[in-house]
Amino acid sequence: MIVSAIPIRLVDMAGSALMILFSLLCVQQALRLRRKDPKNLVWTYLLWLCFCLAGFAVSRSGGHILKQFMTMAGLEPVWGAMGPVAGGINTFLLIIVAAVTLFFNRVRHVYQQINKDKQALQSAHNELLALNQSLEKRVRERTDALVEHEKQMAHADRLASIGQLSSGIAHEINNPLGIIQGYTQLLLRGEPEGGQRREDLQIILKHAKSCKAIVEDLLNFARRSQPEMADINIHEVIEDALVFIRHRSKMENVRIEKNFGQDLPAVRMDEKKIKQVLVNLVMNAGHAVSQSGTITISTQYDPRQRQLVVGVADDGYGIEKRHLSRIFDPFFTTKPTGEGTGLGLAVSYGIVKSHGGEIVVESRPGQGAVFRVILPVAGKAIAKGAYHG
Amino acid sequence: MMKPIQYILSVTAATALILLSAAPAYSTQGHGAPEGLYVHQFSHLFFIFAMGILIYWLRSRSLVRESGWRYLQYACVFFLLWSLDAFCVHLLDEYMQWIHVIRIDPWRVQIDAPTGWQWLKWFYYIIKLDHLLCVPGMVFLFLGLRRLSCQPENEDNQPAQGGGP
Repeated sequence: MIVSAIPIRLVDMAGSALMILFSLLCVQQALRLRRKDPKNLVWTYLLWLCFCLAGFAVSRSGGHILKQFMTMAGLEPVWGAMGPVAGGINTFLLIIVAAVTLFFNRVRHVYQQINKDKQALQSAHNELLALNQSLEKRVRERTDALVEHEKQMAHADRLASIGQLSSGIAHEINNPLGIIQGYTQLLLRGEPEGGQRREDLQIILKHAKSCKAIVEDLLNFARRSQPEMADINIHEVIEDALVFIRHRSKMENVRIEKNFGQDLPAVRMDEKKIKQVLVNLVMNAGHAVSQSGTITISTQYDPRQRQLVVGVADDGYGIEKRHLSRIFDPFFTTKPTGEGTGLGLAVSYGIVKSHGGEIVVESRPGQGAVFRVILPVAGKAIAKGAYHG
Repeated sequence: MMKPIQYILSVTAATALILLSAAPAYSTQGHGAPEGLYVHQFSHLFFIFAMGILIYWLRSRSLVRESGWRYLQYACVFFLLWSLDAFCVHLLDEYMQWIHVIRIDPWRVQIDAPTGWQWLKWFYYIIKLDHLLCVPGMVFLFLGLRRLSCQPENEDNQPAQGGGP
C-alpha cells in the first residue's frame, strides 16, 4: 500500500513543535502555582512533574523534528547513529515521568497531614492563649474581690469596736438617765402650773428623754436589745413605714414609686425594728432628693440564695466616694449641725445585722444612691407565709 | 596477641590473594540489541500504569469536582492513550515486524503487511499519527494548571478533603 507521507510528516512536525511549546507553558504555569503558595507541597510536586514532562517532550519532539529534517535531507545514516541515543534518553525520561507520577498520592497525603498538624498546633496555641488570658482575668477578679472583702472586714471590725464602746457607755448612762427622768417627774408632780420651777423641770425632762432616745439608738446599733421575731410580710411593713413617713415628714413633693416583686415569702423579723430601718432609709433618701424627686422602693426574692432584697433608691445628689466607707459609722453625718445625730444608718446597720442580714449601698455622686437591705429567708417561713404581692 | 598493624596487613594480603587467584566469572552479561526495545516497551507500559493510577486517585479523592483537576484527568487519559498507541506502533513495526515501511520518495511511503491484513496497514497508518493524542494531553495539562493557579484558594489545601493514601 503506497500512501502519502505528508500527513505523517505534518502531524509529526507540528505536533512535536506544539509538544515543546505546551510543555514549556506547563512549566510556566506550575511555577506560577508554586509562587502563589510556596509552602504547598502538591504544587511543588506538580512543578517537578512538569519539569520531567518538559524534559521528555523536548527530547522526544526535538528528536522527531531532527529525524524529519535528516530524512528529507537524505542524512538517514546520520540519524541511524543518533536515533538509539535519542530513543534511550526518551525511554529514560518516560520512566522518570511515570515514577514521579506515582508519588502524587503520597505527596498529597503528607501535605494534608502537615496541614492538619499545623491546624491542631494553631488551635492548641489559641486555646493556651485564651486560657492564659482567662487566668489573668480570674486572678485580677479574685484579687479585687479579696481587697474588697478585706475592706469590708476592716469596716465590720471597726463598727464592732465602736458598737462595743457605745453599748458600754450607753449602758452606764442609761441608769442615771432613768433616775434623772424619774426624779424629775416626781418633782413635777409637786409643782404648780405656770411656775418657773415647773418650766425648768420640764426642760430637764425633755432633754433627759432626748438623751434616753440617743442611748436607745446606741443600744440598737450595738445589738444589745433582743429583737422580737415573727413571720412578717415585708410589703405590709413597707406600707406602714410609708404611712408613718407621710404623716411625720415634709415629703409632699417627693414621688414614691413601688416596684414590689411577686410571690415573696414571709420573713422572720422584728417588725418594729425593720420598720425603723425602712423609715431611716426613706427619710435619708428624701433628704438626698432635697424634698423633690423620686424614691423607688423595690422588693425581690432570690430563691437560689434564699434572700429577700429590699431596695431604696433615690435620684438625689448621691454619696461621695470618700464617705461611702464611713456611712454606717455612729455619729457620722453630712447634714448640717442640728439636723441629724448621725445615728440613723448606724442603727439600721445594727438592726439588719441582728437579723442576720446585710445592708449595702451603691452610689455615684450626682446620680443618686441605692441602699439594699438583704434579709435571709428561713425555709419554714417560706412555706408558711408565701405572699402574693 | 596480634598487633593492629599486623592484623591489617594479614587481612589485606588475604584479600589480594583471593582476588588475584579468581577465575573469570562472566558476571556481566550482554543482552543484545532487542534489550533497548524491551526497555522502551516496558517504559510505555509503566507510563500507562502510572497514568491509570493517577486517574483513579483523582477520581477516588473527588478532586475531579474542581475544573483544574478535571482537566488534569483528561490530560492523563490522552497520555495513557498516546502511550498505548506508541506501544502498538513499536509492537507492529519493531517487535512483531508485521509492518514494513519503505520510503519511495520524500512524500510517499509504502506500507507492507502480511497477506490478507489490509486493515492492519490502515490501522498502522492511523496510529502512526500519535501526536493527535499526546498534544491534546499536553494542552489539557496546561489548561488544568492554569485553572488551578487562577483559583483563589484551592480546596486541595484543606486536609479534610479526600481519603487517605
